[in-house]
Amino acid sequence: MNRERFIKQRRRDWQEFESLVGRMQRHRIAKWHSDDVAALSRLYRSICYDLSLVQSREWGARLEQYLNDLVARGHNCLYRSPPQSFRTVSRFIAGGFPALLRSYRWTCCVAAALFLVPFLVSAVVGILRPDLAEFVVTQQSLEATETSFEEMLYTSLDDRYAGERSLMSGFYVFNNAGIALKAYALGVFCGIGSAVILLFNGIEIGFLVGFVASKGGLLAENFFSFVVTHGAFELTAIVIAGVAGLVLGQGLLFPGEQTRIASLRQHGIESLQIALGAAGMLAIAALIEAFFSPLPISSGFKFATGLLAWFSVGLYLLRAGDVEEPAA
Amino acid sequence: MSWGVTGHHEAYIDTRVVVETPEGVDFRFVVAGPGKRGIAFIADLALKLALTIGIALCLSAFSVLGRVGEGLAAGLFLLTLFFVNWFYSGLFEALWNGRTPGKKMCDLRVVRTNGTPVSPLNALGRNLLSAADCLPPLVLIPTWNVGLLTMFSNRRMQRLGDLLFDTMVIDESREWVSRAAGITTEVEPIPRSECSGRYSVPERTLAIIERLFEGDRIISDGRREDIAKPVSLALRSRLGWEEAGPDPANPHVYFTQVPNRHTTFLRRILKTFADDPRTKEENSRTLASATHRRIRPQNMQSLPQLSESQEPQFRGAQGTLDALEFEWSATTSKQSRMSEATGNDAGDQHRSARS
Repeated sequence: MNRERFIKQRRRDWQEFESLVGRMQRHRIAKWHSDDVAALSRLYRSICYDLSLVQSREWGARLEQYLNDLVARGHNCLYRSPPQSFRTVSRFIAGGFPALLRSYRWTCCVAAALFLVPFLVSAVVGILRPDLAEFVVTQQSLEATETSFEEMLYTSLDDRYAGERSLMSGFYVFNNAGIALKAYALGVFCGIGSAVILLFNGIEIGFLVGFVASKGGLLAENFFSFVVTHGAFELTAIVIAGVAGLVLGQGLLFPGEQTRIASLRQHGIESLQIALGAAGMLAIAALIEAFFSPLPISSGFKFATGLLAWFSVGLYLLRAGDVEEPAA
Repeated sequence: MSWGVTGHHEAYIDTRVVVETPEGVDFRFVVAGPGKRGIAFIADLALKLALTIGIALCLSAFSVLGRVGEGLAAGLFLLTLFFVNWFYSGLFEALWNGRTPGKKMCDLRVVRTNGTPVSPLNALGRNLLSAADCLPPLVLIPTWNVGLLTMFSNRRMQRLGDLLFDTMVIDESREWVSRAAGITTEVEPIPRSECSGRYSVPERTLAIIERLFEGDRIISDGRREDIAKPVSLALRSRLGWEEAGPDPANPHVYFTQVPNRHTTFLRRILKTFADDPRTKEENSRTLASATHRRIRPQNMQSLPQLSESQEPQFRGAQGTLDALEFEWSATTSKQSRMSEATGNDAGDQHRSARS
């Protein structure tokens, strides 16, 4: 076969393939016609053969590049990752997320320690020496805490406070979820960035808690009843975002029997899932923090719901998604 | 391997990535570098800014009209800020098969390193990681040094987010890179006035010359010159090109070039005859231009336009040049001569007869 005859013979297939791929790239997979898919796969294989023929026979760079582009476009159409559906998401929430987290048990322990140890230490220091708190937490935010928790928050349910709540929930998502995602992304530097964020948050929150506890009285009661419910989601989510970052760092530092880059990639997807889970938890926390925590109801009730929240979050993380391994 | 040539050692074209399909065929992508990606990034940044400002204006208009409470408007604005900041690129890339509006403008696309489309999770992940890539900030403005250094340190120009989620950004504008790129950077084309013949070097010969310079061949310069000599001599006689002798004023220029005069000549041949479509309108996007028989090189503008049948053909194994043209040169069967006379490829006749 010579070049001209080859082109004359194959030309129609190439044109058909070109229009087919163009059409399929414009539509979603769900709308693809089964005949089209069959034709695409048949034509794609024959064009792959054409390309290798042209490559081996030096039939001109232009022809080769043209076929190369056809193959690239066809390849992009044919080989796809399976479409993700809401089912995947719901299954992930129902059990995949905590199960994934539990598969990194030791990383979770490290992240929790990185947050809790400085938290407890600085809380104790804060109780004993509340004057030190202003070196860690700014004077302004301490005063703001003091004034806003001295009396019951939002004592009535009128419109002004409704607006305030929406504003605050937006702010909590923007700020806290942003910090969590950053804690995750910075984990790529061998986990150091995440560890630093965990430590600093632990110290800051610890001193705030210690400072409030040292004041005691109504202030402490208001503060703790405010914090307890959404804290179940917020504090765990910060630790979990740290876990996601540490998983990245772990992939880089301890590749096991893989190349470093392969290990990083494998940990990359898993850590991303963990981080997205943490962001979801923070969204829940933001809603609770803005709409439930400041309600003018008795502190006892708030502590009760807080207990319930901690219990259910703990149960979810420790138990959900436990499946008995089917006997092999 | 005609346009994937990496050229000779100094001039290495670094943006080509070969992907092998399950069908066992290699095809190539052109990877986008930081320049083009930067332009797309700035376009996206402008759009993000416009989007944020637009939403802010809408919300404030609604709250002034009293439809939406002030607090709610501010809360929604902060939510918008969060989503635009963290998920704009990720969501676009997940929904538009690897493109954001900026990338679409620049003909860029994110694909996985094996050429398949990005999955939504990979698209989200690579963009979340830009929080690490954009470090360190200089007076609060991200400088992207981490991402840039990572991009320059790997062949696919991947930043950290790309490395982690196994993606790369490809350039789909298919800007033609001359096949001679890298081989011919330091030589001049041969002016038509210096040639007495009307010969034009055919595509196949160019491919063979190019193969001589392929980057992965470990040939010393001296050996390459030995191989180039017979080809060079045959082409010189066909073109009727005479090399200028030493210039009496400074003869050392000539004599320093003698040891690789044939290789240099072949480079000049490539520069002259291998098409350089940067000077042309057309590219290989359309079937018509891809299958066009012969593209007249721009550098030889004064060359008389020969019709297909007039075009000089190689005849059998007469010249040394043909002897280099692999298997088919050895035999000069009657059939192949006939097909050559009608302008067909003798070698292919021969190959198909053998197989």
